Amino acid sequence: MNVSLNWLSHYIDLEGLDAQAMADMLTFAGVEVENIWEKGVSTDLVVVAQVKKKAPVEGSDHLNVCMVDAGEGSLRQIVCGAANYKVGDKVPCSLPGSVLPGNFEIKVGKMRGVESRGMLCSASELGLPDKEHGLWILPNDLPVGTPVKNLVDSDTVFELEITPNRPDLLSHWGIARELAGISGRALSEDPSEKAAQALETVSAGDFIRLDAPEICPLYTATRISGVKIAPSPAWLARRLNAIGLRPINNIVDITNYVLHEIGQPLHAFDASKIQGGIVVRHAREGEVFHALIGGDFALSPDDLVIGDRSGAALALGGVMGGIESGVTDTTTDIVLEAAWFNRSAIRSTSRKLALTSDSSYRYERGLSPWTTLRAAARAAELILELAGGTAEPTLVAGQAPTLAAEDTAAIASVVEQGTNAKIFYATDSVRLEWKALDRLTGGAVPHMEAAAILKRLGLSDADGRGLWLCPPWRLDLKRDCDLIEEIVRVYGINNIPSRRITLFTEESTVDRSHDFRMALIRKLAGAGLREVQTIKLIAAESQDPLIAQACHSLPIRPLQSGDLISVALPLSEDHSILRPSLAPGLLAVASRNVNQGLNVLRFFECGRVFRNTGGGKGRDIETEVLGILLSGKSSPASWCNRRPVSVGQADLTALLEVLVPRMPITLSPAKPRSEAALGADIHINGASCGYLARVALDRCRRLNLPEETYYAEIDLRKLQDAATATVRARELPQFPGSSRDAAIDVPVQTKNSEIMRAIAAAKQRLLVNAKCCDMFSDPTGERLAADRKSLTYTFLYRSKDKTLTANEVDAAHKEVLDALTKQIRTLRFR
Amino acid sequence: MKERIASILSNALERIAAVRSMKGLEETRVYILGKKGTLSQVQQGMRDVPKEEKPEVGRILNEARGAISAALEQRQTALQAEADREAVTAVDLTMPGRTLPAGGIHPLTLVRDEAVRILRRMGFALAEGPEIEDEFHCFDALNTPTDHPARNEKDTFYFDNGKLLRTQTSTVQIRAMEHLSPPVRIVSPGSAYRRDDIDATHLSVFTQIEGLYVNEDVTVGDLKGTLEYFLKSLFGAETAVRFRPHFFPFTEPSFEIDVLLQAAGQAPKWIEIAGCGMVNPAVFEAVDREKGTREYGGLTGFAFGIGLERLAMIRWGIRDIRLLIENDARFLDQFQA
Repeated sequence: MNVSLNWLSHYIDLEGLDAQAMADMLTFAGVEVENIWEKGVSTDLVVVAQVKKKAPVEGSDHLNVCMVDAGEGSLRQIVCGAANYKVGDKVPCSLPGSVLPGNFEIKVGKMRGVESRGMLCSASELGLPDKEHGLWILPNDLPVGTPVKNLVDSDTVFELEITPNRPDLLSHWGIARELAGISGRALSEDPSEKAAQALETVSAGDFIRLDAPEICPLYTATRISGVKIAPSPAWLARRLNAIGLRPINNIVDITNYVLHEIGQPLHAFDASKIQGGIVVRHAREGEVFHALIGGDFALSPDDLVIGDRSGAALALGGVMGGIESGVTDTTTDIVLEAAWFNRSAIRSTSRKLALTSDSSYRYERGLSPWTTLRAAARAAELILELAGGTAEPTLVAGQAPTLAAEDTAAIASVVEQGTNAKIFYATDSVRLEWKALDRLTGGAVPHMEAAAILKRLGLSDADGRGLWLCPPWRLDLKRDCDLIEEIVRVYGINNIPSRRITLFTEESTVDRSHDFRMALIRKLAGAGLREVQTIKLIAAESQDPLIAQACHSLPIRPLQSGDLISVALPLSEDHSILRPSLAPGLLAVASRNVNQGLNVLRFFECGRVFRNTGGGKGRDIETEVLGILLSGKSSPASWCNRRPVSVGQADLTALLEVLVPRMPITLSPAKPRSEAALGADIHINGASCGYLARVALDRCRRLNLPEETYYAEIDLRKLQDAATATVRARELPQFPGSSRDAAIDVPVQTKNSEIMRAIAAAKQRLLVNAKCCDMFSDPTGERLAADRKSLTYTFLYRSKDKTLTANEVDAAHKEVLDALTKQIRTLRFR
Repeated sequence: MKERIASILSNALERIAAVRSMKGLEETRVYILGKKGTLSQVQQGMRDVPKEEKPEVGRILNEARGAISAALEQRQTALQAEADREAVTAVDLTMPGRTLPAGGIHPLTLVRDEAVRILRRMGFALAEGPEIEDEFHCFDALNTPTDHPARNEKDTFYFDNGKLLRTQTSTVQIRAMEHLSPPVRIVSPGSAYRRDDIDATHLSVFTQIEGLYVNEDVTVGDLKGTLEYFLKSLFGAETAVRFRPHFFPFTEPSFEIDVLLQAAGQAPKWIEIAGCGMVNPAVFEAVDREKGTREYGGLTGFAFGIGLERLAMIRWGIRDIRLLIENDARFLDQFQA
């Protein structure tokens, strides 16, 4: 909302406040100042000057050096680039030290080596409408040295953002009333007061029919005959111009003016266009409305139409007038509408049709019915004054809605408006105990001060014991906390001392998982992986490898079609599904970085993934997981490692061991889906925690990724449970152990996990551990059959009671090897 | 005999001094002291020395042997030192390092962790809640009326079953109060979702950190003290902080918080950083109604919410919010814990 300082100062004494002080005052009233526009000239340093001499600047095709008389007793040298002036012309001159709109400060300077002591200005350079191209040529009878600000309208316009709880601030009078309440500055009389007191009302009888009372319970119409349509007088046009409205004619301008003056929208119909009478009704399904701003809108019964007896739609209630029913140059009689509409209905119509106006903006925030008649009175008064004519008593249909809080309605005070047909409006009364204020402010606000604040804001203590009667324009004061808010806001939170008191708090499970997660993140960062954070809404599928796609999720267990959770109305297909895995995001990150020339792709992410348990019919599950992606080279090349090897499964498994050191990690191969070339379930300390996969090679090619791309995803809660199992320190071994190696050859498909299981099956008590320490295969078949591989395992034997003899170790080792021979088909020792 | 010893000694010392390598030194030792060495041969000549001269010649012989051993040892030390020096001359300490894979922590994690650490220091415990929420936790319980502008499918992501993606982490206020008994002092970082088109300053999925403290007689002073401490810890003890009255349905009074920050070469500016306020009694009433208790009636509390992307952007002068979700390694590598 735009507010003109000139207009505002008509109602409130703003003496001594500059624009910044005004902005601060508004800010601390809770009104956000989005912008401040300086219009016109406010400085004394821009004066009328006469050009006495003009000569081209050497070496320039358009600059002239001028000697000008700015009324200083001597001539001033100024370089100017404009072309539209001649010697003898009078023009505005900005003297050094003046600041022009855009925070442009004029200084003494040199152009092309020629000194320039000021600037000759165009109108637009002074923030005024440009009258001609080039310098602003002023009337020749103006004395030199006259400040230009005396010749033009200058104003400061504030662009304000009003919070939705304060519709009463959506007008100049509303802002003035609020500022006066906060600052105690003098306030003029309510501009609608006099007219409202004088207004005569009669029942509308048959002329107005309220067919949709739940949306429009109160409608008034004032007929004014014999008006003369003309342009608005200068003062009115200036006020509308200042806030960015284009003057149209006196009647339309007055309705706009009153809206911005006291916040109540109005509408003027050409009385000759109304057939029979006004019908306030629901729209018919599919009814077409021709709006004033152009365009046809298809309506539905949720929308409110102001129609006539012929069935025609004159206006879309609270939103916009129709193109046929408005005031034109030939209009002589008008009907002025002032009504109250339900805000939800107006909002829904305005949103649905994407049609907004100053009127709908105010209605949808909720207006006080108290202003309805006052606005009618004020507008009629201005119309009679500026357009002539005769006003009939205002027709009133319906009654003001009750907006007072239900629990206090019984003690509500009632305001009465009108003469023959009266409007009754119940205002809120709120009981405020000072101890409630003390409790919330720590007793920082003196009660006398608090009471004074409430009174300045228009409340009155009805019973002298804290039953506060709220002013009729405030709809947001319903309970004691609302009054406390007003007191604190105006008293100033700066005047309430800060307190630093803490509380001993139990550590929560979330605290523990946060600590666990941060430790993981630090470990992985230390191990040379970059943490990423990717967007949680992803595409189903996309041609663009940089878009995370649900089809790249890599779970080993298949995703059912309904497992994915899609939002009903996505902003775009690229962000329509809650990610079921971190793989899509990490693959997209890898693609992005490959495009930047990176060939060491080591990324991880910790975050939430989303899955429905029952193909769309079950529960939505949110799980915190860790995703790790390794692709390309295992490290960057350098002079001491010129050809780094590509990553392999061993790199990813090594990282798991970094994450949970000394925890037994078991990988059990699982049949992967098409996204993965290979896959295995990860068990840590016996518990299933996630999966590890090699990404399908064709998918890597499609994403531009190296073919060696590995991915693991681990459930963080399960990992935490497994990793934080209680540890008891073991006694160190008292006797030395003894190791034996065994080289075997097996079919290439035989898995390490099978061999480890076979070794474990021997249940040899003296065997402490066994691990594969070498692997060899030869695809050419020269040194070993191509379908076989050679593996070397090292075994450690130890007794806790004594040093083992070589014979005892050999015997134990033989048992293990026998078990291997028995369990693994076609195993041969080498 | 004496003359022979003297000559062997001087010859030996000369040889030792001339040795240039460890190998040569060993050969020289054998040449002099070995079984057939020059000195050993003289020693064998002791048999022929007249008895009365034996002590004298023996003494001279021992002295010569001592001198030769000392010379050998000294020469060995010198040669070893020389060899040690030579062994490292090829090492160039100024060569660039072996390139290890670059690892790092995402800037949003860095600010989130820092915010969490400060708040935990003040006795806040972490809490969490689902991101797929219902209207009760996202709106109704937070005193947001049914016809509130945020409650429509143009601003909020809904699902066909009526559930929605939470538009703010304030839902965790309700979740925490349902789950805990007062006093409640929690903080909760997490994602929130709004139907905003993604551009340089907006994301449709963004991160907030939510705080809530409910107890007997929590005051506006507590709110102020807590957030001033928090923001000064985050931005520096000298940072000016101001509270501007504002409106949120679930707090009353409500404030927005600005901090006075100065970008390089610019005048200091008030930057909006957080929203906060005293918990609206309607929120306590909704929780009590839902729980069927009267635990929260009569208590007071404060709540606050801060956008973490904004904190990161301010801290590191990041101009485009999208950089935070694109994860270009060149961007990520700039941030240190």
